Amino acid sequence: MASVGKSSRAPVAFSLPAWILIVPIFIVPLILGLYLSVFDKSLGFPQPISFVGLANFQSDVKNSNFYSALKVTALFMAIAVFIQIPIGIFLATLLHSASKFASMFRSSLLIPMLLTPVAVALMWRFMFSSELGIVNWVLDKLTLAQPDWLGNVSAAFFAVAIVDSWQSIPFVVLITLAGLAAMPIAPQEAAMIDGASTIQRFRYVTLPLLRPVLLVILLIRIIDSFKLFDIIFILTRGGPGTATQTLSMLDYNTAFTFLATSRAAAIGVVLVAMSLPLYFLWKKVISVSS
Amino acid sequence: MRKNFKIFSTITAVLSLLLSSALVTTSSSSAADKKPAAINVYLIPSPSADAIKKLAPAWTAKTGIKVNFTEVEYGTAHQKALLSIQTGKGEQDVVQFDNTFLAAFANAKALTQLDAYTSASKEYDMADFTPALQHYGDFGGKKFGLMLSTEPFIQWYRSDIYKSLNLKPAKTWNEYKVNADAIQKSGKAAGQLLGYGQGSTWWWMQMIWSFGGKLYDAKFNPTVDTTEAIAATKLYKDLLSSAPKGALGFSGDDVTIQFVSTNIGQILQYSGYASGVFDPKMSKNSKNIAVTSAPSGTVNAIELAGWNIGIPSDSKNKTWAWNFLEYMLGKTNAPNFLNAGAAAIGRTSITTNKALVAKNPYLALLSLPTSATVYTYPSLVTWPEFDKVSADALASILSGKVTVENGLKKLNASLKIVLAKEPKR
Repeated sequence: MASVGKSSRAPVAFSLPAWILIVPIFIVPLILGLYLSVFDKSLGFPQPISFVGLANFQSDVKNSNFYSALKVTALFMAIAVFIQIPIGIFLATLLHSASKFASMFRSSLLIPMLLTPVAVALMWRFMFSSELGIVNWVLDKLTLAQPDWLGNVSAAFFAVAIVDSWQSIPFVVLITLAGLAAMPIAPQEAAMIDGASTIQRFRYVTLPLLRPVLLVILLIRIIDSFKLFDIIFILTRGGPGTATQTLSMLDYNTAFTFLATSRAAAIGVVLVAMSLPLYFLWKKVISVSS
Repeated sequence: MRKNFKIFSTITAVLSLLLSSALVTTSSSSAADKKPAAINVYLIPSPSADAIKKLAPAWTAKTGIKVNFTEVEYGTAHQKALLSIQTGKGEQDVVQFDNTFLAAFANAKALTQLDAYTSASKEYDMADFTPALQHYGDFGGKKFGLMLSTEPFIQWYRSDIYKSLNLKPAKTWNEYKVNADAIQKSGKAAGQLLGYGQGSTWWWMQMIWSFGGKLYDAKFNPTVDTTEAIAATKLYKDLLSSAPKGALGFSGDDVTIQFVSTNIGQILQYSGYASGVFDPKMSKNSKNIAVTSAPSGTVNAIELAGWNIGIPSDSKNKTWAWNFLEYMLGKTNAPNFLNAGAAAIGRTSITTNKALVAKNPYLALLSLPTSATVYTYPSLVTWPEFDKVSADALASILSGKVTVENGLKKLNASLKIVLAKEPKR
């Protein structure tokens, strides 16, 4: 051990396998993306590419679709943070305290997580069908209004949010359950002896002890909602109009439909820049965990 | 002197002939590629691609050349094909592409010009196509793509519902609306369905052309806020009242899926869907579906769509790639190609073949009448963006977020920015 500690090459040697993977699949594409974003490369135009500086970024910023996509991305992120996580914690707490059927529920929670988002979106697409879908059939039986789930601007947004929540809430529940299971019993018992109510115990004992787990969940859910793409691609393709077009969808359309490589690269760079604050959240997770 | 001149002229002429024939021989032998062990064919999943794969072994048996296929889903196929061609490595010898990307491919110099091949080929026989179809793969007056499928918009209707309500197939848009309202009112089915969701632009521009409008002028200025365009868009929106619930979310493919699986009186859809629509395994209404020409407005406009196929500019086996295309899409093989499940190619020899037409009545509609004005997808490099921007604006108009007039005015301004990127030619 001593010889390893003394060698200044040892850390490099140990991290080398990771770098061999990270450099070609992450660092190089990132640099190439940055490079492309300041040129005017477009697959439909044969002329040699020329340096355009920040013109692609300016063109993105001037594009109203960019703001609309930014808004949609932010809304999905808000749903993930303010709706999915609280619901997930609530369900996890219920499951943790319930002894009957708890294991059955836990197992069934795994099912949405095991399915690929594309399969999930295809399944829900049929279920949301206005004419043939089970969702409107149930609403009809309950004599409730039956929205045009994928054709109406507001309903389409909620449809995507529902599908994303259906697949993501179980993840929050399972991680929270793991956190609750690993929690020491002594602080809970001490609070009970002190006469704390259930809500007080949850607020002042459970939640603080769950903090590291919750920060991890928060980080993962923000990242997931930031790159939400597959469900939208299958369910609505970003429509109707631009109602469910996230920044990732906009980037896809710019690159693969419009063939505007450099403009797409600029959107990609903006996406990376916007995700940088997550680094501080990750640092927080590390410090709290340790 | 005169005699000497004659001798000199004769010798010169003979030498010139010899020299030119030698040159021709050299050039043709250098142009003919060495016979490769295999050629690579890039396809996009479709009935036409399936037919090519089905018939390729016969070409291999004839030539001894193996055919390798690469199939890429539509969403990323064109970008990947362009990237591959622009590397110049000659990875593909034949490439399938949507006509909407013809301008982008041709402008990027990604395709081999095919005029010399088509004009010299008796087997391909350009004269077997009506003038409207002869130029389907042209960009800037040059041919870069062959027609892989001929898919005009046609009207599909439920003959059983028409019979029970004593309706006649519509010849005009007004009649189409009257029929739609009658069917809707009867409660037997939804009145009609056009594409209102993803791909809505295709139906909308058919209507604009029917009303005598245009998408842009000769100087690439958008013209989607004209009186004609407003009238067309208003009718397009009005027809939504007789469309089934959820129509705003239906993609182009969904129009067909809904028609064959639910009760809808009539639709406007590309003829290329025929194999699925008339297949009892895929269509519960297959026996009660009939077809007729698209309705006309002030103009008898026909929107023509369909796949293209060509030879990448970097192919190393162009002669054999052409040989493959000539065999596959030539006059002799055309009936086999159709019978292999491909969307029909509108060769006159096919659309007038009594046996084939008896089996596939829609074939008669592929012989586009000379009285009609045939419109293909706009020959724009920026078309995919034009299409998306228009579809986004139409979604707002159809959902009632903006009025037709204001929506089109706003769209016209947005399209100005898109068309400003169009290369001047």
